Amino acid sequence: MNKLTSTLFIFFLTFGITVYGQVAKVDSSTMVTLRIDPENAKGATVSQIFEEVEFIPLETTKESLFGSISQLSATKDHFVIYDYDTKSVLIFTKNGKFHAKINADLMKSEEDSKNENSFYGFQLVNSGKQEQIMTRTSKYVYYFDFNAKLLQKKLSKDVKYEQFNTFTNPDYLIKQRYLKTDGKDSTYHEIAIFNKDKEIATYFPFSLDRYKNDQYMGSSKIYNSGNGNDFFYGRPYDFNIYKITPDKLSLAYRLIFPASVSLPKDFMTNETYKNKRLAYFQKNDQLFYSLSDTYKIDNLLFLKMRSWRFDKNKKDALIYNLSTNEITSIKDIEPDSLSSFLPITDAGAFYDYQNRGIHLFKDQNFYTSYSSLAMFTFKEQSAGKNPHYTTVLSNYFKTQNKKSNPVLIRLKPKKN
Amino acid sequence: MRFSFTLLINFLLLFSSSKLFAQQNKPILPGSVKGILRDTARNYVLKSATVSVYKAADSTLLNYQVSNNYGEFNFKNLPPAVWLRIEVSNIGYQTFNQNFTIPAATNFLDLKTLIIKPKDINLKEVVISIPPIRMNGDTLEFNAAAFKLDSNAVVEDLLKKIPNITLWGDGQITVNGREVKNLLVNGKSFFGGDTKIATQNIAKNALEKIQVYNVNENQEKPQDSVLHMNLKLKKGKDIGYFGKIGGGYGTDKRFEGDASINIFTPKMQLAFIAASNNINKSANSIQNLIANSTFKGAGTSTNYQPDFRSSGLNRTHTGGIDFTYNFIEKPKYNSKKELKSSYFIQNKNSNDLTKTETTSLLNNASQIVDKNENNNSTVSTNQTFKSDFNWANVNQTLRMSQTTTFNSGLSNTKSTRSSENAQNIVTSTNNASNKNDYTNKRFTFNTDYRLQRNYLKPNLKFNGFNINYTLDIFENENNRSNLTEFISFVNAATSRNFNRNYQTTTNGINQSLGFDFNNLKSYFFGKAKLAGIDFSFNNTLKINTDKDINQVEDLKVSTGRYELNGYLSNRLQSNLIDETPGLSFTKSFNKSLSNRYYKYFSINIAAKQKFVHQDFDSEKSVQNIKRNYSKFVPTASLTYSNNQQGDFSEYYSLSFNTNVRLPSINQLAPLVDSTDVYTVRKGNVNLREAMDRVISFNFSHNDQGNKNTFNYHFTISGGIINNAIVDSTLIDQQNRRTIYTINTDGNKYINLYGNVQKAYKLKNGELQLGFNTNASISKIPGYINGAFSFAENQNIGGSLTINYSLKSFLGVVFEQGISNYKSKQLSFNHAAYSGTNLSSMVSTVYNVNKQFSLNSNMTFNTSKSQNAAAINFTIWNASATYRFLKGNNAEFKLSALDLLRQNNSVLNYGSGNSFTVGTRNVLQQYFMTTFSYYPRKFGKK
Repeated sequence: MNKLTSTLFIFFLTFGITVYGQVAKVDSSTMVTLRIDPENAKGATVSQIFEEVEFIPLETTKESLFGSISQLSATKDHFVIYDYDTKSVLIFTKNGKFHAKINADLMKSEEDSKNENSFYGFQLVNSGKQEQIMTRTSKYVYYFDFNAKLLQKKLSKDVKYEQFNTFTNPDYLIKQRYLKTDGKDSTYHEIAIFNKDKEIATYFPFSLDRYKNDQYMGSSKIYNSGNGNDFFYGRPYDFNIYKITPDKLSLAYRLIFPASVSLPKDFMTNETYKNKRLAYFQKNDQLFYSLSDTYKIDNLLFLKMRSWRFDKNKKDALIYNLSTNEITSIKDIEPDSLSSFLPITDAGAFYDYQNRGIHLFKDQNFYTSYSSLAMFTFKEQSAGKNPHYTTVLSNYFKTQNKKSNPVLIRLKPKKN
Repeated sequence: MRFSFTLLINFLLLFSSSKLFAQQNKPILPGSVKGILRDTARNYVLKSATVSVYKAADSTLLNYQVSNNYGEFNFKNLPPAVWLRIEVSNIGYQTFNQNFTIPAATNFLDLKTLIIKPKDINLKEVVISIPPIRMNGDTLEFNAAAFKLDSNAVVEDLLKKIPNITLWGDGQITVNGREVKNLLVNGKSFFGGDTKIATQNIAKNALEKIQVYNVNENQEKPQDSVLHMNLKLKKGKDIGYFGKIGGGYGTDKRFEGDASINIFTPKMQLAFIAASNNINKSANSIQNLIANSTFKGAGTSTNYQPDFRSSGLNRTHTGGIDFTYNFIEKPKYNSKKELKSSYFIQNKNSNDLTKTETTSLLNNASQIVDKNENNNSTVSTNQTFKSDFNWANVNQTLRMSQTTTFNSGLSNTKSTRSSENAQNIVTSTNNASNKNDYTNKRFTFNTDYRLQRNYLKPNLKFNGFNINYTLDIFENENNRSNLTEFISFVNAATSRNFNRNYQTTTNGINQSLGFDFNNLKSYFFGKAKLAGIDFSFNNTLKINTDKDINQVEDLKVSTGRYELNGYLSNRLQSNLIDETPGLSFTKSFNKSLSNRYYKYFSINIAAKQKFVHQDFDSEKSVQNIKRNYSKFVPTASLTYSNNQQGDFSEYYSLSFNTNVRLPSINQLAPLVDSTDVYTVRKGNVNLREAMDRVISFNFSHNDQGNKNTFNYHFTISGGIINNAIVDSTLIDQQNRRTIYTINTDGNKYINLYGNVQKAYKLKNGELQLGFNTNASISKIPGYINGAFSFAENQNIGGSLTINYSLKSFLGVVFEQGISNYKSKQLSFNHAAYSGTNLSSMVSTVYNVNKQFSLNSNMTFNTSKSQNAAAINFTIWNASATYRFLKGNNAEFKLSALDLLRQNNSVLNYGSGNSFTVGTRNVLQQYFMTTFSYYPRKFGKK
């Protein structure tokens, strides 16, 4: 069930691909084809892949108690988290200490007390001198500082809904779901590259009608591999990894999976699938329907595949070594002393990694998380290994319990 | 003496169980072994692989585990210095086997890393691995072949062997503490769904595996998922038959015989069944009969034993056919097409003798006594034909069913009654003889269609609706003759003689149409929030038309002929139209924290208006009554559920309901039959409808741990009836009652029910404790001889059950039951009556070996009443059963019933201003020899 809700959730939050096929000038000259059989992925120890592992328990107080991490951002001093269960943004310091919380209560004022103040995520925006946390409700857009102090609010209709990423040179940015107006006509584009206000290129045009006329699963997220000028982009029902640079979008990798888990070749063209895709994936639950969590660190390409099947041991999160063609299964990375014999994901026992994957890659660090229920379960299972815990972890195990807040895990991959 | 014996049994049980608990705390065997599973080819550990430990010599399964997240396993309680074998299996891997012994010196062995090799697709695996337990996606599977049992074992024996499964004394199954709501065989319900029919018949050897999984039929409420268990039969074993043919004869011409054959194929199930006996064994449906003819037999269960408590002596002949066809071989809740049909016939010949003495209290604090003797013999034949069609797809369900019944019978009743006044002087006597010849026919058709939101098409705005329709047609014909001789010793002028014939025909058509449109908010208001309140509209329309034709004749002594009784002969047509539209509002809240809890709270308030038009059209002008009612009948409910992940789940609900009780024509304007000398019921055309307002509270707790689960639940409901329709009784010197119906306030009631269950898995057996309680307290207003009085009635009952089984050779059930009534007249000097019935039952089955078993069932009964001496009696039944032939298919049984010859059916009850004690004729001691043969085959071969 978890899986179904999460897929539907993703479905509602995202938008899918065009069925028109009028892809504008995608450069595929540098495309690399990768053949991947997930069942042959190998294991490794934590210290073979990572050079640093840090568990950051997020402080549990009456006010800071939350469910799980749906969205994570990190600034120089803070972690900012969105929790779907409590519909709030929580701000923790970099060592996990609770700092402040933004929830619907903070947005109540007399004039709009009738409005629903729930919000479903946040954006960090740079207002010139300082970073702010922006949340959007149906009526207003709110700006907070990192002490959860309301700085200003604007009417939602006055603030354009834009998802964007900036390159190293902040003048260059990528906009998603960009509405391009050309005289009377206006068309949405999945991706647009801008230099300040100047449009450089647009890709994958689509009509909003497509959500009414067909069913989409999987996210259309942009992943930042840390290199400020390379972004990865993936689309539902598509196993291509696109690279976005300040000048263009190009096809970087074409992934080929075994036929048993691949989509039919005519999946996007055969009308019989139209509007019946959910039912099709429910029936053929082993098939991958999209990629996510695509990052490239040196020679290592990280990726995750989504399917309908509910199986905690399926090999669907991989590291592809582009120089040796070796594949490592992330779920099977074995805990060792570097991680105090605690696993780096909860795969195989719980579902946080399955549902959420990697939250963030920033400053050469991956961030993922799992629940205190998982922490205490793993501690019990690894008791025989005489693990050495850091002071933070010792304190955590001493003072907390399985109902405490989730624990953030920072992983720094090794450079080859 | 009897009680001290009961206490002794109690004591023994407590003693033995505490000893068993002590054993549980200390591991019996000191050996332990651990290790890590590793796929060296791919360089990772194996999580969730199945590791089993067997005795090497005979491959007896000692224990099993699923490897943890580190690929590790760790077994305790193993025998040291014995050759053992470890087996590791996992999907996609070759089965790993290794023999080992745990050194007696250390009692510990570390097998270190076991290298598990991936399956080579080019090589056929020589040994087919059968791990005892396996997670297959979200399905938990237990493989039958991994559990070694006797070749004649059935599924129930297997369920008892699996540590994760508890099979409760009442037939309920729980897996890791969670209740199995539905037991299926190859995805389908098996001969009507009684779990016993599947678990006690299907050979363990025909079973491939037991699958346990969650089913959520309502995609919008994931917390509503329920647990299903599917018995997957081995390939080729999905076709076969099982049944029983048996007969017995005993002392006092006691006999019993039964035959049944149940045939199943992948799509069809067909059962034929017949039973006949004169030992008060009666089953009222085919399912009941099939469930009581299982191969496994009754064990310690006391169902379908000769009922020594039932009144009278009954001889029944029963037969039936049950047929099910699944158009879809592997149905699911969202893909189903099934037709069921059954025919049932029962012929019953019964004889009842009852002697009672009823003491009633009058307002002047004096008592009157009525002594009654009744002798009834009835021959009846009941036939039922049912069909049921079920269809479901992803978001629609359709159900159509019909039931046709045809009952006919002839009954003869002779009764004598004498009434005494407070001075014990007989004031009147009455002798009556009634003969009744009846035929009742009924046809009921019901159809229900539901359309739900299609979760695979989330864009649709429509939220679905339900519609259902019921048609009920009946025709009852009744020919009755009555001879009554009433003699009054107080006033000779009131003595009467009657010889009256009645011919009554009642027929009617009742129809009901209901529909619900749910979650209308988004339909009408789109995405508007409306404070989170959703609403639904529902409507129920009932149209009933009943016709009663009564033809009554009296014997005129002078002519010797029957002549029409113009007063009682009548034609009456009753029409009722009941239209109830309603609008209900729901607001729900839920709060969840991932990996911790899920809490749900919902408030529902429904406003309903009931419009009723009642129209009685009679030949008797006094019964020509037309009435209209319009009543506001609101309902409200609060529900709260708290699901703490891995700990427990709790459910609370509080609800308020309003019911309108309309006065019937017999309360408004009855035609008084003078042959019922002692009761004259007068009507009251001014009667108003009664309003019954009820509040009920429900609470349940279910453990989600996988060991020693503790579950409890209770329900309490209380109501106040305004304008309750009650009796105002006038009792004359000859104890004749004239009853007027009146409206009065002050009728109140409280009902309570509670249930507690706890199970302990022991090393070699299982102990289950169950406690049940129920209580009802009511305060009923009324008038007796013009004086207003409240009768306060209190009924309290409870039972404690202890179920103990030791491996497969001993089963003991101990049950202590108590029921108590108290009745108090609040105005007549608080005069009170009370009585208590106690029963202690010990049932034991001891399987001497695989063929021979002994069964004893003893019940100690005590019946106490305030004004009469306590009556004690014990019923002891015992039997010895011998099974023979290769598959244990034949059974020879010697039974001795009511060994102590003490059975004595006691009546002891109270109500209103009176209490009754008495006796009935019952089945008494007999001995019987029974021979049965169980033909059974699973698979074609």
